[in-house]
Amino acid sequence: MGDVMALIEIENLSVTFNANGRRVRAVEAVSLKVGEKASFGLVGESGSGKSTILRAICGLAPVSAGRIRIGGEAVQSPRGKAFSAQVQMVFQDPYASLHPRHTVDRTLSEPLAIHGIGDRDARVMTALTDVGLPTSFRFRYPHQLSGGQRQRVAIARALMLKPQILLLDEPTSALDASVQAEVLNLLMRLREERGLTFLMVSHDLAVIDHMCDRVLVMQNGRAVEELSRTALASAQMQTDYARSLFAASADRMLEG
Amino acid sequence: MSLLSVKNLQVTFNTEAGLVEAVRGVSFELGRERLGIVGESGSGKTMTGRAVLRLIRPPGRIMADAMTFDGQDLMAASEAQMRALRGRRIAMVMQDPKFSLNPVMRVGAQLMEGLRQRDHVSRAVAYAKAVAALDAVQIRDVDRVMEAYPHELSGGMGQRVMIAMMLIPNPDLLIADEPTSALDVTVQAEVLSILDALVRDRGMGLIFISHDLRLVARFCDRVLVMYKGRIVEEIAAKDLLHARHPYTQGLLNCLPRIGGTRGPLPGLDRNAEWAM
Ligand SMILES: Nc1ncnc2c1ncn2[C@@H]1O[C@H](COP(=O)(O)OP(=O)(O)OP(=O)(O)O)[C@@H](O)[C@H]1O
Ligand SMILES: Nc1ncnc2c1ncn2[C@@H]1O[C@H](COP(=O)(O)OP(=O)(O)OP(=O)(O)O)[C@@H](O)[C@H]1O
Ligand SMILES: [Mg+2]
Ligand SMILES: [Mg+2]
Repeated sequence: MGDVMALIEIENLSVTFNANGRRVRAVEAVSLKVGEKASFGLVGESGSGKSTILRAICGLAPVSAGRIRIGGEAVQSPRGKAFSAQVQMVFQDPYASLHPRHTVDRTLSEPLAIHGIGDRDARVMTALTDVGLPTSFRFRYPHQLSGGQRQRVAIARALMLKPQILLLDEPTSALDASVQAEVLNLLMRLREERGLTFLMVSHDLAVIDHMCDRVLVMQNGRAVEELSRTALASAQMQTDYARSLFAASADRMLEG
Repeated sequence: MSLLSVKNLQVTFNTEAGLVEAVRGVSFELGRERLGIVGESGSGKTMTGRAVLRLIRPPGRIMADAMTFDGQDLMAASEAQMRALRGRRIAMVMQDPKFSLNPVMRVGAQLMEGLRQRDHVSRAVAYAKAVAALDAVQIRDVDRVMEAYPHELSGGMGQRVMIAMMLIPNPDLLIADEPTSALDVTVQAEVLSILDALVRDRGMGLIFISHDLRLVARFCDRVLVMYKGRIVEEIAAKDLLHARHPYTQGLLNCLPRIGGTRGPLPGLDRNAEWAM
């Protein structure tokens, strides 16, 4: 393999759900590699298996074939504490992923408590500030927050354990332009400062282009085409589907 | 006469930490057109939409000088009258689709429920209508999705199921809160063309809440820009990307662009005069 070691390696991953006796082939033989400190994007059709790939890495989807390695080692099942200290996920749906009866404070301090980390007060306050929320939100419940405010709490929670890898599922699709900019800037800054590696899903090609070095285009459970950032920005795609995504994103291009 | 008229709408929450003024004096008129509402997170877009349906939970309070839908006074309507309007004549696609679907009921049953109970159609007719509605929003595997529970759907599939469900009763007014935020651009285009056809052919009124300025500029007729519970600018959608208001301009400047530099994105200057 290349000069940089792949931190995340997925080889021929297939995920098959069994739903009411039906087999749902959500992911079929997908492979990808993400180098250390790199950002890798997943884009594609709604329902094509993007979230399922992230969930499979976390041990939250029924893998029917293939291998997942982090730092060269096969992941253990169940994933365990060491895994969650290294890999954290921000889920697509901030409504479902925040406990409705837990305050922001409890949501953010719980991972610290589980991992026996002290100095919780100060860490919670820093985390809120990092994602651009006022510290007065600390004792609010999820239903007292707008959609974008909830998403920022979810991002803050993923950062509490200072993980090395962040799996980000549509991290800014619930955010307005200004908060999106703040969150993307924060993620870029953290990547510099802490040497983070990102695997992120977004349907906004401008966000992918801004954040990622490489991107995998998916459709109907399969990998359609992998593109470098340069190939994406210069429309050098080989497949019709990737081209149609690009064409429908014309309003996101830097004005010529 | 306009379909919906809102005058000086206020939504407040009395919380332990003090009074939160989520909406502070919003007024607008809606005809049979596509009205966009944009603005930053927490600016009051969702609360404005929910207030029209009087769906604000206590301790939230709604006040308005007037709120009229098709000649009916929404502020004076009884809870029973509101229930008769909701879903049937005014529908809302919620920002949190999975949260709004019943987690223990199959998608098909949820889609057919209204048709069976409200319109008393046969099971076979309801089934066919539900299937057609899912087809229209580009669901692959319609048979499987009819049998699925909400947690078995992807984010964008949940969103499309919600849209399908809200459109089945043919509402006169649709309030769509971030209805396409989880959709890829090609499926999004299909869903928007359905909404567009309903406005154009059936004269439905559409309130389209979104933080995607470029999408709103392309899709809507008119746009309200909200900041901290107020409308700071009302503008024709085609002019949105060249808006003069410094807040709207600020929001536009924050956007990343394909082929742009990867340096830090500009933020909003919250100390500017308009922010006070
Ligand atoms: N628990 C489950 N049981 C059965 N099928 C499932 C389950 N979870 C996901 N699926 C199916 O797997 C497929 C892929 O879903 P996934 O959530 O990965 O899509 P996605 O690419 O993230 O889409 P979106 O962009 O809409 O979020 C979909 O057809 C979905 O219905
Ligand atoms: N139950 C509540 N108690 C206190 N404050 C609330 C409550 N519900 C909403 N708010 C506040 O009201 C304001 C407006 O919320 P709203 O949901 O309308 O924002 P929004 O413009 O839809 O934002 P987003 O784009 O993030 O969805 C927010 O600051 C929010 O925190
Ligand atoms: Mg998804
Ligand atoms: Mg909202």
